[in-house]
Amino acid sequence: MARKAKRDLTIEQQLARGPIDLPFLALVMILVAIGLIMVLSASYASAMYNMTPKITNTKGDPLYYFKRQFGFAVLGVVAMFVISKIDYQHFRWMSVFVLGASIVLMALVFVPGIGKSGGGAQRWVNIFGIRFQPSEIAKVGVIMFFAAGLSKRSSQLGPPKKWSKRTFTGRMAARLDSVGLLELVPYGIVLVVVLGIIAMQHHMSGMVLVIVAAASVLFAAGVSLVWFGLGGAAVGGALWFIITQTEYMTQRIRIWQDPTSDLQGDGFQPWQSRIAIGSGGLLGKGLGNSQQKYLFLPEEHNDYIFSVVCEELGIVGACVIMALFALLIIRGYWLALHARDRFGTLLVVGITSLLAFQTFFNIGVVTGFLPPTGISLPFFSYGGTALAIQLAEMGMVLSVSRQIAAPKAE
Amino acid sequence: MQDSNRKPRRSDGKNNRSLFRRTIFLLVVLGVGMFLPLVAQLYKLQIVEHDEWEKRAANQQTKSVTVSANRGTIYDSEGRAMAMSATVYKLILSPMGVLDSIDEEKYKDEADKLDEAAYKQALYDRRKLIVDWLVDTFDYDEEKLWDRIEYTASAYEVLARELEEEDAEKVRKFTSENQISGLLYLTPDSKRYYPYSSIGSHILGFMSQTKDSGDSKVGAQGIEARYEDVLSGELGRVVTSKNGWGAEMISGYEMYFDAQNGYDVHLTMDERIQAMLEQTLAEGIESYDVQKGAFGMAINPQTGAVLAMASTPDFDPNNYNKIINEDLQRELDAVAAEKGEDSDEYYKALGEAQLKQRYNRTLTDAYEPGSVFKPITVSIGLEEGIISLEDHFQCNGSKVVVQGGRPINCHKKTGHGDQTLTKAVGNSCNVALMTIAERLGGDLMWKYFEDYGLFDKTGIDIGGEGVKQFWTEDQFKSLIGTTYRATSSFGQGFKILPTQMMMSFAAVINGGHLLQPYLVQSITDQDGNNVFYHEAQEVRQVISESTSEKMRGILESVVANDSGHNATVSGYRIGGKTGTSEMLDRRTKDDPNNDDVMCSFMGFAPADNPQVLVLVVYDTPKRSAPRSSVTAAGTYISGGNIAAPMAGALIGNILDYMGIEKQYSSDELAGGDSPMPYVVGKELTVAKTAIQSAGFECRTVGTGSIVTHQIPAAGVSIPKGSNVILYLGDDAPEAQVEVPDLKGMTPTAAKVALEDKGLFMRAAGVVDYTDSTNSAVTQSVDVGTMVSPGTVIDVRFVGKVNDYG
Repeated sequence: MARKAKRDLTIEQQLARGPIDLPFLALVMILVAIGLIMVLSASYASAMYNMTPKITNTKGDPLYYFKRQFGFAVLGVVAMFVISKIDYQHFRWMSVFVLGASIVLMALVFVPGIGKSGGGAQRWVNIFGIRFQPSEIAKVGVIMFFAAGLSKRSSQLGPPKKWSKRTFTGRMAARLDSVGLLELVPYGIVLVVVLGIIAMQHHMSGMVLVIVAAASVLFAAGVSLVWFGLGGAAVGGALWFIITQTEYMTQRIRIWQDPTSDLQGDGFQPWQSRIAIGSGGLLGKGLGNSQQKYLFLPEEHNDYIFSVVCEELGIVGACVIMALFALLIIRGYWLALHARDRFGTLLVVGITSLLAFQTFFNIGVVTGFLPPTGISLPFFSYGGTALAIQLAEMGMVLSVSRQIAAPKAE
Repeated sequence: MQDSNRKPRRSDGKNNRSLFRRTIFLLVVLGVGMFLPLVAQLYKLQIVEHDEWEKRAANQQTKSVTVSANRGTIYDSEGRAMAMSATVYKLILSPMGVLDSIDEEKYKDEADKLDEAAYKQALYDRRKLIVDWLVDTFDYDEEKLWDRIEYTASAYEVLARELEEEDAEKVRKFTSENQISGLLYLTPDSKRYYPYSSIGSHILGFMSQTKDSGDSKVGAQGIEARYEDVLSGELGRVVTSKNGWGAEMISGYEMYFDAQNGYDVHLTMDERIQAMLEQTLAEGIESYDVQKGAFGMAINPQTGAVLAMASTPDFDPNNYNKIINEDLQRELDAVAAEKGEDSDEYYKALGEAQLKQRYNRTLTDAYEPGSVFKPITVSIGLEEGIISLEDHFQCNGSKVVVQGGRPINCHKKTGHGDQTLTKAVGNSCNVALMTIAERLGGDLMWKYFEDYGLFDKTGIDIGGEGVKQFWTEDQFKSLIGTTYRATSSFGQGFKILPTQMMMSFAAVINGGHLLQPYLVQSITDQDGNNVFYHEAQEVRQVISESTSEKMRGILESVVANDSGHNATVSGYRIGGKTGTSEMLDRRTKDDPNNDDVMCSFMGFAPADNPQVLVLVVYDTPKRSAPRSSVTAAGTYISGGNIAAPMAGALIGNILDYMGIEKQYSSDELAGGDSPMPYVVGKELTVAKTAIQSAGFECRTVGTGSIVTHQIPAAGVSIPKGSNVILYLGDDAPEAQVEVPDLKGMTPTAAKVALEDKGLFMRAAGVVDYTDSTNSAVTQSVDVGTMVSPGTVIDVRFVGKVNDYG
């Protein structure tokens, strides 16, 4: 297809051809590159020893994980560029399909033959030989859907809907509408459906991420803080109940506080993680020199890859990487602030917040600051589809960045 | 229809401001704020607690394998190996390994069903193979072995320690033939050997396990203990990294800490002299039926080097718990017979006997030195000029030291009369010593006792120094201390260690130098380089050289003329002092009539330049009857009559061994040896002339005028004055004669008894053919031995001296 000349384009189309935000792109590419190197370093040992032949048979190839991750990274970067080329206004209508597709896919998890269980929970599907968690897509779907919906909030208001004052339901509806609850109903329903399916997968961390992503979009969109207060109180109450009233969670909290209380069991991983981090010291043992990755630290190339980073690169290296994440997040919000319209802002806020929370939860868990949950570190943790989807999300941010008006020349 | 009154709930601007503010809020919280606790957490782990975590990491990531170090050898002064280590093996059985060695899979059919009977049979066969072989080869208890091999929770059952190479080879052969090397195997270990068994055992010590040493043995007692660090060396280590499954990592780092072999220790002790001393103690115990053991020591008085140190009973360091003393064994047998071998009483008695064997009295057991101490007091008087060699002392048999108090007796109740200082020491006169103490006074005595090291440890380089018992300074110097001072002057009323007594006496005769005794002359590394060499350590100069010279003269006279006469060895100038101490402190409520006596002799030679100083102490020779003052053989129980002859012979032997030349006086020369001339085939008269001119007498056997045989053969040296035998005519000497019993005979009688058999006597000790109190104590060839005629028998005589007290 021949490229149209600029003059033939509509203003919309011209805007969509603007330059992408280079600082954001550079930060993403740096993090992907460092992440790949760390996957190589961290996975080397377990790939060589072929730790889990029944899940992934590496056949003793020490580069097994790295090669796959590299392949997906290339795929992801391509996807990122392709998506960045799309005029993000199209994401409005796409959101419905993305969300719908993710819900269908998540339902497929429970279909024998397609759904796969891993780590004791059913949360994977296998389609055309590609194995992935549909909940990854659900997160994006929720963000897109919420952003699209909430961006129309003020303009949509126009003439307010009239509620019949004669019927009781009508009066109630009018009342709810006036406090701003009624507009939240569709989002609530979407959220309940998505969370319900994820809960059926026993995917606690997935639920947490969907909640915080949705909450951040709702928050930015200007939903009354009262609802956050109430929602926060409800979640807090539920958490308090779970933590104090269920044997399983109290146990986990105790192990979090003191891994030595169950060193042979659930305390093993957090303890080994702390040994890795602590022994790294100021400058670390040097890239590739981690000792803990030699079959001591489980999941050293997945959720606990940051422990290996700390062990090999020390607190200095870890802080540099955290600084890169921080810059990426700040740049993301900066792009959100400068986006052309509310949809762009809310979309970028959602994606950036998701990235930020994921980074925070992962490093928090690995360092023992937060109780253990299985959240991977963006760009670092091994997992090809997750990386590709992450890069696709970055592509959306870049797409938004294209339509930011260039600063006026002085 | 439009309701123009109705405004949007929010204006666009307001809405956008809210969006802006909230996004900024998220930026600050998620982009910056969230990272702060994470950095803080990393700081805590990686900086604050870094050392702890690194230690934990090293603990689990590394594997440390120890490399054993060879323990150093202990040599005597002549380079004889007294203690050495050799490789032995531990025999290990892995019952778990035996169980695992039978593969269950092999006994499963296609349906994965186990043929249990076949599997059990295979396991039983393998166990039986091992058990039967072990029972056959090493005679182990079969039942216990079955119990152990069936205890499959264990992978490490030590069946034997200290397996020698020969047995280890058998194990290797058996396991390789049956391909069970992992189930029954050997690990190298080290064992300590003491080639001279009990000789010097109290000095050497032994090796044993302690609470802290774990599976390995460490030095216990003596040199082995004191020089543990030096001898043991340092274990080496190989530190390798390992992975989470415990496997060593090929590419991981490795660190080597070389094993440092132990150093060799060279003693001042001489195995020959040590053996002589132990022999002397044993002979004395036997001859005088000594009841409570004996102890002794030999040092070089010029340096403080300990040549020998012995105490009975002793032990065999190769097997330190074994009772090797016959008397102790007899007592134990008695307990076993009465209470049974499994009784608590027996084990208690066994433990006590074991401790007794390891007890080094010379170093640990404070004793009352008795008269051996007198030279100390005398030297103080001479040094201070309070007495002189010309002084005379009057002894009436007792002396009142505190006005109105009870007189303190001299051992000779009738008194020694008027004596010179030399004679007073020779007589071992208590009254003279009390007189000297009186003149000295408490201050001087205390000062010199302190200088002589009586109140300090000697600082010898093995552990176990005991504690002295002495009066306090105030007590000693007080009015009431007058009695203490009086008795202390002749070595009674207080207790010091034999080693202390030894060093003080050495100072008296070596020019006044109080020395630190030592046992280790040098320490060498594996290449023979000295890492330590002991130079004589002088603690202080106590008396002057001239006083010391006077003391040597006095003490030589004691042996030459007086109470120490039985220590005489012809050809050597010997000085010394006898001691007979009553063990008053053993007179307890339980034993009110205790009359134990320690008979001791401290002697040195050569008197003008002492090379060796010897102390020999016998604890309580058996009296012929209660309250009797003689032994069953009639020997007067005193240092001069019991310890002096033994110590004299010992000194003679040591000097001979050291190669110190004998110097005979003209009298002694007259009694020296001379070669026998060849007289066979000569006329009797010619032969007699030749024999007389050689200094012999002769008797003839048979009739005739021509000598047909002679005893001894030509060229054999025999003592002058011996009665050689000339055979005339057809008579010929017997091929073998029996050695007669000479014990208790006078020199004349002994000579006759031997010559009667065609044997000759070389007399030693106190030999006066006119003195009927001289009697033979030892003979060089045992009674009843068959020897060729003409053999010279060495006989040692003692005289009777009066030194009781």
